[in-house]
Amino acid sequence: MCLACLAFPVLAAGLFRFGEQMKRQVEIGVLYSRSGTYPVVSEASRAGVLAAIADVNADPQMPIAFVPVEYDPAGNVDNYATGCADILANSKARHIIGCVTSWSRKEVIPVLEKTGGTLWYASPYEGFEANEHVVYMHACPNQHLVPLLGYVVPKFGANGYLVGSNYIWGWETNRVARDLIADARGDVLGERYLRLGETDVSHMIAEIEATRPSFILNNLIGPSSYAFIKAYAELASRDERFGPEQCPILSCNLTEAELPVIGAFAQGHLSAGPYFRRADAEGTSGMIGSSLAASNYAAVQVLARVLAINPEATFAELPAIFAREQFDTPFGRIAIDPRTQHATVPVEIGRVSGEGFEVVQRTEAVAPDPYLSRYDRTETFGRPRLKVVS
Amino acid sequence: MSRATRIPNLGGARAFVLHRPHATGAAILRQLAAIGLDAVDCWPELPAEALGADFVFFDADLGFDEQFPWAPGEAPMPTIALIGSEAPGRIEWALSQKADAQLLKPVGNSGVYSALLIARQSFEERRSLADEIVALRARVAERQTIVRAVTALAAQGATDDRAYAQLRSLAMSWQVSMEEAARRIVAMTDEGDEHSDHA
Repeated sequence: MCLACLAFPVLAAGLFRFGEQMKRQVEIGVLYSRSGTYPVVSEASRAGVLAAIADVNADPQMPIAFVPVEYDPAGNVDNYATGCADILANSKARHIIGCVTSWSRKEVIPVLEKTGGTLWYASPYEGFEANEHVVYMHACPNQHLVPLLGYVVPKFGANGYLVGSNYIWGWETNRVARDLIADARGDVLGERYLRLGETDVSHMIAEIEATRPSFILNNLIGPSSYAFIKAYAELASRDERFGPEQCPILSCNLTEAELPVIGAFAQGHLSAGPYFRRADAEGTSGMIGSSLAASNYAAVQVLARVLAINPEATFAELPAIFAREQFDTPFGRIAIDPRTQHATVPVEIGRVSGEGFEVVQRTEAVAPDPYLSRYDRTETFGRPRLKVVS
Repeated sequence: MSRATRIPNLGGARAFVLHRPHATGAAILRQLAAIGLDAVDCWPELPAEALGADFVFFDADLGFDEQFPWAPGEAPMPTIALIGSEAPGRIEWALSQKADAQLLKPVGNSGVYSALLIARQSFEERRSLADEIVALRARVAERQTIVRAVTALAAQGATDDRAYAQLRSLAMSWQVSMEEAARRIVAMTDEGDEHSDHA
């Protein structure tokens, strides 16, 4: 089948009941895979986009109605640039929401630079990027990894075992983790990678059993991550020193969306993110199931507000708008840094409990620092204790 | 020596961008601000305060020696050449400035971060090599002093080998370098000669 045939505008009848005549219809691209190695994550992200579009279209105060133009890269990283180009060439869309992995984001950036498009990227990522054609709506390392290790080290110790999927997210996040662990006076007891989709984790589990770290940092994604969490729970059932109370698994990308797939094996382990679903929440925020849905919902809200201010806004107009506007989102009222185009978001540390997360620490409005230019060892880990030298 | 991996703390570092007003300068300033540096653009000269900068970007297309408050190739900080024209004369001039990294024009959305890290590492390596060369030159220059000290010790009746071993053990007990110990022995010998001259 021709890949271009996969792009089609979805016009849902009845979406524009409120003020239909007054609303200007605006096409936006949606670039999420509906199959492949991480469909659970991309479906949660896509659901956030579609929910927000429905809400924007139903909002009588909002002068625009969005028409999604979807392209499904089917989990193949080589299809993202094609899909991005297809949307920009065959529709009026100038803004695209999508991409889960950094690999796919880096694939579409050259297309955006050539055509003047903007990607609204709503997944946690490893930082060290600030492209003017991308708006970064989820957390970067100073909003996930740094506070997560700052929370964990005093409680569990500073010796880490690092695992990751074999691409840029795992490599770069673990690279920053190595530095943070050294700053916390700890040791990296092991570091292992699996190719995307690989589920044989026995080697990692054997090394963890042998080295007995204080915590495990998990940068695996999709089925590799689920297999690892399950195998580690089996290790804990044989040896309680590997239970979440003694040696937790830490993730910077684990959300409610994946808990049903993992089942009870994730209980007690920790994750950092800008949002965890409140069981008791009411209204819109109660409906949003995870930080992935929340950040995608937020991206659509911010874009709607931007286009309400300037219907023709493209990447070139964004910094000026971000410099003076704030935006109401599921994260609360947020700003977007006009220099880096990263969102200021809350930072929550959540412990898996039942079907969701219990928030054990929350910090409001953490400004983005994608290059960790303002990272301060003392602020994160406290002053090093002086050793007595005799 | 610092470890190979380290969070590069560039926050608050100061960079000067020596380029005529142009989209290239604007693109570099935008990237520098996003990374967290304080960046200043200037043309046609670097101001005196650039001597305290952490990085200097300079234009290889229109640049000339008099723009810099230092001699060609002796910048006291990492420098990055902005190369547009590949005319051999311009490349030759950029090479004479001993740039630590380069960035090809036109500059778009990326390139500045890697240029900063490459320039910093290359500058630090160049500087530590230069320091090592100065130290080695000083030691080579002291060879004559060591020969004179060994000769002076041998004059007391020891063989050359024994005199050399004696110099080494004196340096150890004084906790100084061999060169410094040799200088002291030569000075003592000279002093002794002066006394005997006056006697």
